[in-house]
Amino acid sequence: MLDLSTTTAKVVFIGIALLIGFFLFFPVYWTLASSLKADAELYQITPTPWPKAPTLDHYRTALTEGQLPKLLGNSLLVSISSATFNATLATYAGYSFAKYRYFGRKPVMMFMLSAQMFPFGLLLITIYPMFVEWNLLDTRLGLILSYIVFALPVATYMIYSYFSQVPNELIEAARADGASDLRIFHTIVLPISIPPIVTVFLYSFMWSWNDLLYSLTLIVSDEKRTVAPGLLLTYLNETNADWGGAMAASLMAATPVVLGFMFLQRFFIQGVTAGAVK
Amino acid sequence: MTELSIQGLYKRYGAVEVLTDINLNVRSGEFTVFVGPSGCGKSTLLRMVCGLDEVSAGTLAIDGEIVNDVPPSKRGIAMVFQTYALYPHMTVAENMGYALKLAGEDKGLIAERVRRAAEILKIESYLDRKPRQLSGGQRQRVAIGRAIVREPKIFLFDEPLSNLDAALRVDMRMEFARLKERLGTTMIYVTHDQVEAMTLADKIVVMSEGRIEQVGSPLDLYRAPENRFVAGFIGSPKMNFMPVTGQGDGRLQVPGGTIDIPAEIDASRVVEVGIRPEHMQIGLADENTLRGNVMTAEHLGSDTFAYVEIEGLERPVMVRLDGEHTIQTGDPVDVGFATRSVHLFDSDGLALRRQKVSNAA
Repeated sequence: MLDLSTTTAKVVFIGIALLIGFFLFFPVYWTLASSLKADAELYQITPTPWPKAPTLDHYRTALTEGQLPKLLGNSLLVSISSATFNATLATYAGYSFAKYRYFGRKPVMMFMLSAQMFPFGLLLITIYPMFVEWNLLDTRLGLILSYIVFALPVATYMIYSYFSQVPNELIEAARADGASDLRIFHTIVLPISIPPIVTVFLYSFMWSWNDLLYSLTLIVSDEKRTVAPGLLLTYLNETNADWGGAMAASLMAATPVVLGFMFLQRFFIQGVTAGAVK
Repeated sequence: MTELSIQGLYKRYGAVEVLTDINLNVRSGEFTVFVGPSGCGKSTLLRMVCGLDEVSAGTLAIDGEIVNDVPPSKRGIAMVFQTYALYPHMTVAENMGYALKLAGEDKGLIAERVRRAAEILKIESYLDRKPRQLSGGQRQRVAIGRAIVREPKIFLFDEPLSNLDAALRVDMRMEFARLKERLGTTMIYVTHDQVEAMTLADKIVVMSEGRIEQVGSPLDLYRAPENRFVAGFIGSPKMNFMPVTGQGDGRLQVPGGTIDIPAEIDASRVVEVGIRPEHMQIGLADENTLRGNVMTAEHLGSDTFAYVEIEGLERPVMVRLDGEHTIQTGDPVDVGFATRSVHLFDSDGLALRRQKVSNAA
């Protein structure tokens, strides 16, 4: 038997944890450090481990001269809309799959989940001509709709698992009390399902916010551009490699998601593990 | 006057028949208990009365009106669920008033009815709490309160005590008895616990494998079970059963001895006899005697349960003695019992009855 309480075991475990931590956090640290370095220090042959003379210049430039505020605004609009859309669809679909019995229920669910098996790039190839046909190319609505493919299948499945755990007796009690199906869903089931709904909202938001491929392809005009392709095109294009600006802007772009998770992580963890332990 | 009448009721799930030809009348104000082992269909029957499960065939009528297709809320019934099914995000008062709110009742009326129900159940002090802040017994009261508030014609209880610990169960059992006196409403109660059934019921419906085995008052079922299943199910500790190995001279041969039977019964039809543990005694001569050895004895203080091993019987015979009885393991003993306390069963498991009950016990 492996004794986990010995000093050697502890040292090994802590060592491994530190190693993993280093791998995960080094890029974040490097982004932060680079964003605070002046250009001269940034482009030295031998990189400095930390900024010798920290400066906020890159942040100032990104916020005032670049398009960052507009990009962030666009991303926020698109991500909130698509997360709302996805969470709403997933909630209704998940409830239907979990609590109603009808012909084709399981095949439909499998079919939906199978969308997740295709590489997103492949799906983009089919979405593109469809959007051209429907005049959805270069529209925010188009981009919002396209994000269904990222999050909806898994979101539906997550919320389906949660609803499967909601006791039928609760629904039956409400039915016996005289509530209609929709009423039961809206006044009994939804109020007790906030954590999983917040979870799928966040999940879906994260996908949209972090997306590069779809937004880069489906949005062409500058004024609708979202943050990920925006940063790429502004700071790291064919003619330009402003690493300091890119790092500062990236950090600022990541901030909303990080803050969101910090505030809502209680919900998120609760949602992901809901039903795991009775 | 509220009567429930069930005629030729069937429930099928695909090819599986869960309830078969159920016929039953529940009179107004009667406390009826459906009792039977798990999976016997008692809860399904209750759910069909409630309207949560559809009727496959037959009719269900409340006060003469067929309600097969009437939604639960329009049947004039209220159900208390096994898990209580309280709405976790609502306070006790909101839980209790929900049905009236849905029915569009006036706020004052709702508050008044909730207050009155809370008073009956002594839960006035936690009307503002959420269900998670209540103990099991309190939740149970709230669930009952939610039913009372609706002032139903029939109350339906689905194993309401099974989630409570033993001590609380006894308390709540008394509470149900009190409620029955106070409200006087027709009540149907499902349980697998025959003690609950015996103590609460005016009428017991014993079910097994989707059929009604017998309907009757608790003491009728105890004294005159119609078949082997009811004989074994009603009564605690359980009835002792013995196979008949032969007969002659109006006596039946069983392992360990012979049993005298009334002349009017055709001895050749009897294949099994049953005697309740409390109708047997040890060491005292009686009309019938069986020989055996004491395998073990359980001293409970109030009672002593002696398990007597008899040659030719798979299971020891259990004899219920008073608590003062001292008995040694391994002792050879005579187990005595009166002829009138013997239950006789034919090859179909049906009870063979005397022409008339010989002794009003």
